[in-house]
Formats: sequence, C-alpha cells, structure tokens
Amino acid sequence: MTAITPDSPLVLPSELRTRLDRAVAQVNSVVLGKAGQVNHAFVSLIAGGHLLIEDLPGVGKTTLAHALAATLDLSFQRVQFTSDLLPSDIIGVSIFERDGQRFEFHPGPLFAQLVLADEINRATPKTQSALLEAMAEQQVTVDGRTHALPAPFFVVATQNPLDLAGTYPLPDSQLDRFMLRISLDYPSREAERELLTSTNRQELIATLAACMNAADIQALRQFVGNVVASPALIDYLQALIGATRSHADVRIGLSPRAGLALLAAARAQALLHGRGYVLPEDVQAVFVPVTAHRLTLGGGGQRDRVAVARELLAGVAVR
Amino acid sequence: MRLDRRQFDLAALTVLCGVLLHATHFPLWLSVAMTGAIAARWLQRRRRPDWGKPPALLRLPLTLALPIIVWLQYGNIFGLDPGSVFAVGMLVLKLGETETPRDARAIATFASFVLMTALLFEQDILTTIYVGLGVIPLLLLLRALEPDGRDPAQPAARALLREARSVLLNLLAAVPLAVLVFLFLPRLTAPLWATQSVPQGKTGIGDSMSPGNMSDLFLDDQPAFRVSFVALAPPPAAQRYWRGVVLWRYDGRTWSRAGGGPLDPGRQELRALGPEVVYEITQEPSRQRWLFALDLPTMDAVGYSRDEDFTLAAARPIDKPLRYALRSAPRYALGGLDVQQRRRALRLPEGFNPRTVALGREWAQQYGDPQRVVQAALDLIRENFRYTLSPPPLGRHAMDDFLFETRAGYCEYFASAFAVLMRAAGIPTRVVIGYQGGYWNETGEYMVVRQSDAHAWNEVWFDDRGWVRVDPTAAVSPDRIEIGSAANAAFNRWYGSEWLLALRNHWDIANRLWTQIVVQFDELSQRGLLRSVGIEQADWRELGIAFALGMGVLAALGLWWAVRRAHDDADRVDRAYARLCNRLGRYGFARAPSEGPADYLRRLLQQRPQAREALEPLFARYLQLRYARNDVADAAAREFARAVRRADLGALHGS
Repeated sequence: MTAITPDSPLVLPSELRTRLDRAVAQVNSVVLGKAGQVNHAFVSLIAGGHLLIEDLPGVGKTTLAHALAATLDLSFQRVQFTSDLLPSDIIGVSIFERDGQRFEFHPGPLFAQLVLADEINRATPKTQSALLEAMAEQQVTVDGRTHALPAPFFVVATQNPLDLAGTYPLPDSQLDRFMLRISLDYPSREAERELLTSTNRQELIATLAACMNAADIQALRQFVGNVVASPALIDYLQALIGATRSHADVRIGLSPRAGLALLAAARAQALLHGRGYVLPEDVQAVFVPVTAHRLTLGGGGQRDRVAVARELLAGVAVR
Repeated sequence: MRLDRRQFDLAALTVLCGVLLHATHFPLWLSVAMTGAIAARWLQRRRRPDWGKPPALLRLPLTLALPIIVWLQYGNIFGLDPGSVFAVGMLVLKLGETETPRDARAIATFASFVLMTALLFEQDILTTIYVGLGVIPLLLLLRALEPDGRDPAQPAARALLREARSVLLNLLAAVPLAVLVFLFLPRLTAPLWATQSVPQGKTGIGDSMSPGNMSDLFLDDQPAFRVSFVALAPPPAAQRYWRGVVLWRYDGRTWSRAGGGPLDPGRQELRALGPEVVYEITQEPSRQRWLFALDLPTMDAVGYSRDEDFTLAAARPIDKPLRYALRSAPRYALGGLDVQQRRRALRLPEGFNPRTVALGREWAQQYGDPQRVVQAALDLIRENFRYTLSPPPLGRHAMDDFLFETRAGYCEYFASAFAVLMRAAGIPTRVVIGYQGGYWNETGEYMVVRQSDAHAWNEVWFDDRGWVRVDPTAAVSPDRIEIGSAANAAFNRWYGSEWLLALRNHWDIANRLWTQIVVQFDELSQRGLLRSVGIEQADWRELGIAFALGMGVLAALGLWWAVRRAHDDADRVDRAYARLCNRLGRYGFARAPSEGPADYLRRLLQQRPQAREALEPLFARYLQLRYARNDVADAAAREFARAVRRADLGALHGS
C-alpha cells in the first residue's frame, strides 16, 4: 500500500509475515490479474469466514480454489454439487461394521480443512442446508453423535449466476453464512493473453509447493482479534451499517451478524496489509464483498446489489 | 486523610483574605492578633506537622474568649461590626483545628460568607474587586481538595498554575449567571435588613458642631457627593458653598440644630432674583439625613423636607447612594425675620465666654451699624489669627481662649467665635455646616465634593438684605476658599502632574458609574430596564419566568459545554484533520467525503510527489492518533493540531 507504517501495536512475527506474503504472491501467479479477489480470498481465510465465488463457468473459480489448496498445506476435498447429491454424500454415513458389531461413522468429504464446494447451487436445498449448517457450527451431527470438523475449516463454494437453468438459488438467510461473496469476471486483455500462451493452469498448480500450514492460519486468526478498531473507526462502521438500513432501495439492511463480519473482514484486511489497526479504507475494501449478498433489495427496482453497496459506500462520509 | 501542605496553605490564605478584607473596619489590634494567629498556626503546621491540631484545652477557652472580646470591644455582640468580628474570629479559630479535607471545606464555605459580608460595609468598585480576588484562594482550595486530577509527581507550581486556570475559567463561566441574577432576581423596594443600623466610624457632616469634631473629615479623601449641572455653569470656586445643616443653638461648647421646638417649613419667604442653577446631586451614604444644596434651594427635592432655614433632610438616614435634583437661586430676596427666629438667632448661654461677649457689646456701641461690626470682626480675624488644622486645646471659655489666647484654629473655631461675637453685638447670626469647594472633573463633566471639603461658616441677618453668608475663615485663609480644602492644597503639591490628575478623574468617573449602575440598581431601575426591552409591568412572576428561562438556557449551555469537553480531545484531532483537508482543498485537492485518509494521501502523492515530505508525517500522525489506538492523549492531540497549523503546504502548488 502506501509508505505509511506508523508504529503498530501489533506486529506479525516476520517469518509468518513472509510466508503470508509468499502465499498471496503464489496464488496471484496462478490466478492472473485478480489481485483483489485473491486478496478477498485471504481475508476470508484469515478472518475465519467462508468464501463464495459467484460467476459464469470457466472464468477461473475452480482454479482459484485449487491454487489456494495447493498453496496452503491443508487437507483438501472437492465436492462437485449435483442435483442428486444427498446430505450424507458430503457429511458421511454410519455403516454397520460386521467386525465390531456396531455402527461406525465414515466421514464424508466435508471432513477436510479446505473444502471446495463446486457449483453449490446445483444441489437441492436439503443438501445445501447440510453444508451450510456444518459451516456455521464447525461440527456435524449424525445419528445423535456429534463430530467436530477439523480446524481450520475453510469452505470455498462456487456457484453459477442465478439466472442459469437447473439451479436451486441459495436463500438469503443461507448466503449470510458466507463471509464474502466475490465474482471473478473476465480476465483483462493482458491476463488472458498470458493465460493463452503460458502453461496449462492445472499443470502449474501441480508444481506449486505449500507456503503455509494450518498452524500459521490459526496464528493469523489469533492476531486478527487483536487488530485495533478505534472508536472513530467503529463510528464509521456504524454509519455504514446505519446507511444500509435507511437506504431507499434496501428492504432489509445489514444484520448485527453482518456488522460483525464486516469488522472481522476489515481487521483481516488490515492485518493482510501489515497494519495493526483498521483504517476506513480497510472497511471500504471489504464492504462490497461482505455486504452485497446480504442486502435484501426492495421488490420494485431491478437493481444490482453490488451497485447498491457501492452507492452506500460512496454516500457515507469518512469523518 | 490529612491535608497536604499545599491544601493547608491555601486554607490559611483563604482565611487571611477574610481577615484582610475586614481589616479596614476592625480595630487595628484585632486585625493584627488575627493575622498573628493565622501565621502561628501556619508555622506550627509547617515546622511541627506531627503536633496536629491544638488540644481541646487550648481551643475551648479561645472559642469562649471570642464573644467576650467582641463584647468588650463593642459592648454588644449583635450588629454589623461586632457580628463581622465574631464571624471572622470564628473563621480564624476554625483554621486552628483544620486538619482534614472536611475542615477545609467548612473553611471554604464559611469564608465565602465572611467575604460577602465585607460588602455590607463598602460597596464601591475596589471593595467589590477585593472580594472578587478573595474568592480566588477559596476556589483554589476547593479545587485542591478534589481527589482526582492531581499528579503527585507534578511540581507544585505547575499544579497551582493548572488549578488556577481551571478556577479562573469557572469564575468566568459564572459571570453570565451573576449577570442574570443581578438583572432578574426580584428586588426588594426596601432592604431586608438595615445594613447600617450601627453608626459608622466614617460619617459625613453631623447635625452638631463643636471644636474638633470635623478634623477627621479634613483628612478623609472620600467623595461626599457628586454634582452635575443641568442649567447654568458651575459657580466659581469662591461661591461653591454646599449648605448642609443650619445650627442655631449654642450651649457654650457645642452648636446644635435648634433650641426650642421643630422648625416650621414655609415660614421664610424666598424669591429668586435672576436665573437659578439647576443641578443633580448623587450623594454617597452618610448615615445622616442631610442633603446639600447651593445658596439657596428654591425647590423642594421630591420626597425630602425643607426647613425654614433651607436645611434639606431626607426622611431616613441615607445609607445607600442617593440621587436628587435641585434648583438654587444664587441671588435671592427673603421675607422678614419673625420675633421667635430673631430671639433664637441672638441667644447665648449664660456664664460662658465673658470677654468675647464684652467685646461684641463694645463693638455694637462703637460702630452701631451691623455691617461695620461684621467688618470689624473680619478685620480682627484677618490681622491676628492663624489657620491651622491642629489648634491648641481650649478651656471652659472656649471662645475667650480662642479669641484672646491661642488665636489659631480652623473653620469651626472661626465660625463659632464669629457667631458668638455677632450675637453679643445684637446681630442675628447662625452657623452653617456643609462643604465648601468641589473639584471639577473635566472628563466626566461633573463636580466631586469630598469629605475633606467639609466646612463651617455663618449667616448674618441684615434687615435690608436678609440672611447673608459670611465666612470668617476666608478672612484668615483666603486660599482655603479659593483652592478648596487643605487636602486639595496638599493634593496639588504632591500629585499635580497631568496624567495622574487624568487618572484620578477617570477613576472617579468609574466609581460614579459603578454607584449609579450597579449599587443603585433597585426595583425601579430594574423595571426601567425591562420596560426598555418591552416588558411593561414586570412583577415578580414575570421576573421569575425570565429568571427561570435564563437559568435554563445557561444550564443547557453548561451541559453542552461539559459534554463537548468530554469529547474535546478526540474532537481536536478531528478538527485539525478537517482543517488540513480544508487547506489541501484550497490547492485543488478536496477530499471526497467518503475518501479515507490513506487513499487521500495516495491520491495526493500521485499528483504531487514533491509534497511527500510535508504530508506523510502529518497523515501518519493522524492515522496513529485516530485509528491506531482506543484513546487520544491530550498532548498528542494538541501537537497534531499545532503541526497542522504550521504545516508548509507550498509543495502542493502545481509544478
């Protein structure tokens, strides 16, 4: 960012800092020209939230998720959601073991530290709910027994835009489970050219070495809680939240949980940029991906939620 | 908890202020004794703090002794003077046992009452200012007793400075409240209590005259009254005779008002010859009933009586400044003298001053014509007598001694001797006491007559001319009449320089305005003031409403201020940043409302990289202050504000 680095009350250990920077750079080297989205993916990771990537097929959603998985030394599972996918297919099932004369729980693909839920809106609401509940509670319950999910537990879900045929759109209340929702969009001309001329992305990913492990991520999540959000910053945050509740085009504004998510994301953004305190810019950087999918717009207009979120952001003064 | 050294010092200072404010009307020995007691206690607390407060065996007798001392001094423990001594004495005794903050609070509370009582004695500007100053140590004491806010490591002088600042701020904040109370608190037509029920040491002209009783006045430089002239110029110096009381009766030693019965008004006819002087007098409290007028008042002052000898008197002793308008005829014609008046103007006591009486009779035979007798007396005085303010003492036949032995004295002596001589010669004569002279204040265009201008002279009856003023003192000391009083003569000698004179004039004007505007502000003035802003009939209810409204507004303001102050330091950073943005805006780099500071700086540096040196530290400090911590240190906030003010943004000019 800028050269401003005032004394920070919080300093990351330099090795951790280096590993984090290298991880971000490595993902960027695979997903070309999408520094902002990569940044948001890491915000989500550090803040302990889950990431929803929404865009047309073929723009690199899965590539981003794979690059993340390859960069982070985490147990990885990919689940391709289809309309006939059942909850037990992702959570796991209890099977009667003849040897032990009892039911044994066989964990599903959800039992991994990084889960890629591909095309989540192709599954039935029943399966979606099972995934989202697991995301919210960090645990699953099967046959009356509770099984904790591994930590860190990070879900990257992708979905196609809602107007495509054969999808079950996620209800608003469930979208709320995702801390950030990002879209990738078409690559820039230069990025696309490089994409076309250089090595295949899948092969590239296969050559990547992991930069960060689970302990690093847990440590980062610890640090996030200590990032200072000053009274002035909270004032600004509240002004933003208040604005979503009084905007003419918004029927339902941000919930308190959304506000907490916004603050957590802003803290992660600050940490990601080497600052021990949150600036209004940090809030602004994560505002649209954190809030757009949580806003319920009024019925009349056919407005884009992202546009409304941007408008909200521009309308609130930083004092 | 015991008081620390500084707190005790402030308590002692508070008590000392109380004593000093009252010292002017205390007997000297009492003031000295009280100051000594304070000093002794202070020294003991400093040298031997381990002793604590004096034992009850010492405190109890002292406390019991106080009323006895007051009673011995005044013969009474009620009334203003004894009461004030009693109160101040109690305050001093309280200091003796002051060890805890609770004691110190009692001192502060009671001292505020003691300070206020000083205003019962004097209400001029200086006293008011002194009382105001006396409040400061009291408030400092209260501030020092506050448990918080004081860093024990801080040097005492700095702590005092900081506390003094907050005390002065508090006083300043109290001014609107005081003004409100002054203007709107319903006033009483008559005072609730007579502030001057006890005769004061300092009085004006009395209603009798005996040799020696005016000499105090000659040394008193206080103004007696001030005169502004409405019609005609002020009279020349030699004609400034301010008549007060006319004295008829002589008992061999003392001249007094009248021998037999009250004087009927309207018995003496008065007709003005020529134009009259119209003037307005503002008289200082004199504790006497007498008003003063030039020869001879033709019109009754409203509400005041005029006797047949043109003595003007108020119904009650004048115990607060009084303003009245008068009209006088310098040249006049009088009706005849009736038998009773003539007899009274000729009466002499039996068996006193035989030589004087003999001389008078001799002159009557020798000259016959009263005018020549008068002339003979004036000649005698002019040739053989000496004017002095410290005459030798006189015996039983005072006038004999004066005329034939000592031959030195001042106006009282001359007026008295002259009257005895004239009466012995069969010429009706009376004594007039009042003021002679007056100092014309050019700047303020009014005349000040001081107590030191007190004078006594005579009026002699000539059948063809009526009562004629004769001033025997003028014969012996014409300067006394031309220049003014002896005090004025001295005054000319030692501070005659121009600027001092001007200073004195201005000071007198200030005093006059103070008296007219503040001290005399009563129910009438209050109504007048309210009428001028449209409140026609201001009764206590309307006053109460105005008062309550004003209080409400003040309370709201105070609350707003207090709340604002709480956020002040955070606000200071805010305001300074707004100022910085404003300044940058003038170079064409206005900040978008939703633009954060880091983005703003980035934009600025992109367009004006040369401003990096000026801007980066400022922004870094701002981010640090506003976002990097949960609280804002006062000093850092100030420093940032200063840095913003001083920042040189010249680099932002286009290259």
